[in-house]
Amino acid sequence: MTVTTQVRPQRWDQPFGLFMTDQDVERLLTVPEISAIEESKFPTHCPLKGILKNDARIVKYSAGDIVIREGDYGNSAFLVLDGSLKVVLFPGLPGEMLGRRTIRKKSLWQALKQLWNQRKIPEVRDVKRYGLQALVRETNDLGAAHVFLQDVPAILDKNKTASLGKGALFGELAALGRTPRTATIFAETDAELLEIRWQGLREFRKYDQGWRRLIDKRYRANALNAHLRATSIFSHLNDEDLQEVADATLFETYGKFDWHLTYNKLQAQDKTQGAKDEPVIVHQGAYADGILMVRGGFARVSIDRGNGQQTLTYLGAGDFYGADELFRAWQGDTNVGMRVTLTALGYAEMLRVPSKIVEKHLFAHWSSKRDGVREVVAQTSAESRRLQDFIDRTLTDGALMEWAVEDRFVNGTQAMLINLDRCVRCDDCVRACSAAHDGNPRFIRHGKTFENWMVANACMHCADPVCMIGCPTGAIHRSMSGGMVIINDDTCIGCETCANSCPYSNIRMVSIRDEAGQFITDPQNQKPILKATKCDLCADQISGPACVFACPHDAMRRVDFRETELDENTSRF
Amino acid sequence: MKIHQGFSPARVWGYLGFAALFFLVTWAWTIQIDRALGIPAFASGCVLFGILVFIALFSMRKRLSFLPLAPASRWFLLHSVGGFLVLFLFWLHTDGVGPKGFYGQLLTVLFYITSLSGMAGLVMEKFYPRQLTCSGAEVIYERIPGELAEIREQVESQVLNCTEETGSSTLAEHYLETLKWYFQKPRFFMSNIFGSHLSQHWVRQQCMILERFLDEKERAYLDRVYILAEKKRKIDFHYALQTLLKTWLLVHIPLAGAVMAMVFWHLILILVFFV
Repeated sequence: MTVTTQVRPQRWDQPFGLFMTDQDVERLLTVPEISAIEESKFPTHCPLKGILKNDARIVKYSAGDIVIREGDYGNSAFLVLDGSLKVVLFPGLPGEMLGRRTIRKKSLWQALKQLWNQRKIPEVRDVKRYGLQALVRETNDLGAAHVFLQDVPAILDKNKTASLGKGALFGELAALGRTPRTATIFAETDAELLEIRWQGLREFRKYDQGWRRLIDKRYRANALNAHLRATSIFSHLNDEDLQEVADATLFETYGKFDWHLTYNKLQAQDKTQGAKDEPVIVHQGAYADGILMVRGGFARVSIDRGNGQQTLTYLGAGDFYGADELFRAWQGDTNVGMRVTLTALGYAEMLRVPSKIVEKHLFAHWSSKRDGVREVVAQTSAESRRLQDFIDRTLTDGALMEWAVEDRFVNGTQAMLINLDRCVRCDDCVRACSAAHDGNPRFIRHGKTFENWMVANACMHCADPVCMIGCPTGAIHRSMSGGMVIINDDTCIGCETCANSCPYSNIRMVSIRDEAGQFITDPQNQKPILKATKCDLCADQISGPACVFACPHDAMRRVDFRETELDENTSRF
Repeated sequence: MKIHQGFSPARVWGYLGFAALFFLVTWAWTIQIDRALGIPAFASGCVLFGILVFIALFSMRKRLSFLPLAPASRWFLLHSVGGFLVLFLFWLHTDGVGPKGFYGQLLTVLFYITSLSGMAGLVMEKFYPRQLTCSGAEVIYERIPGELAEIREQVESQVLNCTEETGSSTLAEHYLETLKWYFQKPRFFMSNIFGSHLSQHWVRQQCMILERFLDEKERAYLDRVYILAEKKRKIDFHYALQTLLKTWLLVHIPLAGAVMAMVFWHLILILVFFV
């Protein structure tokens, strides 16, 4: 019998930069910020040189090139090796300049014109339009391109900016926390940057005290206070108390940051194990030692049921758990343990506020009638009751949520949920979508089903939009108005990064055609030009999502699963 | 957010109540005209024509999904309620008696067939979706031929493998004699429409007939063929029901168009010769 063998896949089989050489690594080791790292602290399976060669790459930017854009999601940080960069502070660059799509709602007349202006040929594009907006500059790197700014002096005149010079590190918080970039940074002069992907950054933080201190300090200084302030239970604290809470807060990470890469493989596996395979944040019945807050990703909330785990709900960024348990323990209740198990749903970045700090700054004041405190206490009690309601639910009542969590549909904020008991499969929704997109439907009325529910293959406009990670031109982005994830067709270079990243296969690559119906091809290799397409929630239509609007049987909804509750009483008609 | 499954009962009863009130008011009006020695059919005819035009607009609305003209579900509800209302108005207009002339009789027949087709569609749209869900499969109508071809290919490959591995042609012969017919195209259309289990029975029967002529290895192949046959049965079920769900409109809409055309001509004649 022939035995098929394969060299065991290794972590660095696919390096971040294809052209990193040993000479580059040696050169990087002379850079002060890198040379300060103690090489000996790194384990043999993960040496510093290996990280630099495989988890980092040297990227060159020409003057005017945008390095990161405000609002983008990225998974890497940058260290300036040479040159000068500018951070745009205020008022910020307009969307068009960043390669964004400007959404303009159609007028009534423009909307009506769609009736006779619709093209019969699919995916027709006006080629001249791309030429007019030549914002994209090709680079030497494979599959990479930069969006550049055309009038840098004018930008410097109109905006308040700050300079970043040699040795500056930026982008690490957004990369590690999977949060949007908070500012746009562009190259003022030709610049050379070391781009470190999050895996390498994580190792730097893990094995080097200096980088850890730097990253944590920056997070505490720039983001943690704002995060705590935005959390209801801490919102009433004064600046001094809040700072004390921030100083004591611990950072914890669970699961895999790039969960989407293994999502489909996991879906094919036996799912009866459910939460059992996920990294545990806290066990049901465990001693409550602090309030757990979700900073990024999702956490599954479940309880033991028979031989398995019953999923009750999930926590997303900004949610917290444990306040009620801690409070009861503080009041003297004995044997107070966590009522539920929290596990990382793919990936979860947590903040743990230790019980002592909570007792000092929260519980000591909860009996007072100070402004803001009463609301916090009332809200915490309401949340606690809500959780108890979830616990008391029957398996049947919670089955839809269980399914939505298992299949990670909870990531969606606008999942297309179809009630198959009402859907007559007339495809009016698909036709309406097509009519609103120049004859090209942007979803497929097909998808995973559970009982009488189907989540169709339409972009869910995810809370954690992994599709946006790695887009070289920022063509796929979250709209500042409305929050939907949209693609700028003008700056999409057809690299397929977003389509490959979307775990739900809701982005489709299409070959575009000219007005005559001929495929538009690349003159160099004669291959058709591709563009990424997906549901844009009919951002430019006056009627809103055409699919929902067109359903004659009221069978379709765009939903956020956590806010979804089935109203069985109204199913008679 | 609560997902309201379907139309709110309050809205449905509200629309029905309004339709009933509308009919009663129209009726009272015609009585009043009659007492004043007028022609009540003019009044009921005008109202009937208005409602007919309104319910016919639903088809137009479907093509204008990008205009903010209220959700299609509301239009559908109004269309359905309006459809029942025109039945009563038609009865009022014709005074409960059928017209005597050929044109009027043709219009009446077309009107009733259109109404019946609408009601049949309404019933199908109410009951078939749930049956499709309960089938345990979900398939896009346009993909059915492809799905069936794939199943057929898999079955034939199983049959060939069985012959090659066991050296016996029993399964292959039975396939050619009987099962091939089943896998060729959608079958048991009528029984699927009426919800009978004939196809399930047939498939099981054909497999049972063969079973005792097979050895253990061949039975394993037959089991796999049976699983594929079951899969095909579900697709056949979808084919039958989805075909009806899609095609009833091909009867309803042309008939409605014919009724509207005849109503227009009827109106012209009335305006020219009677007014």
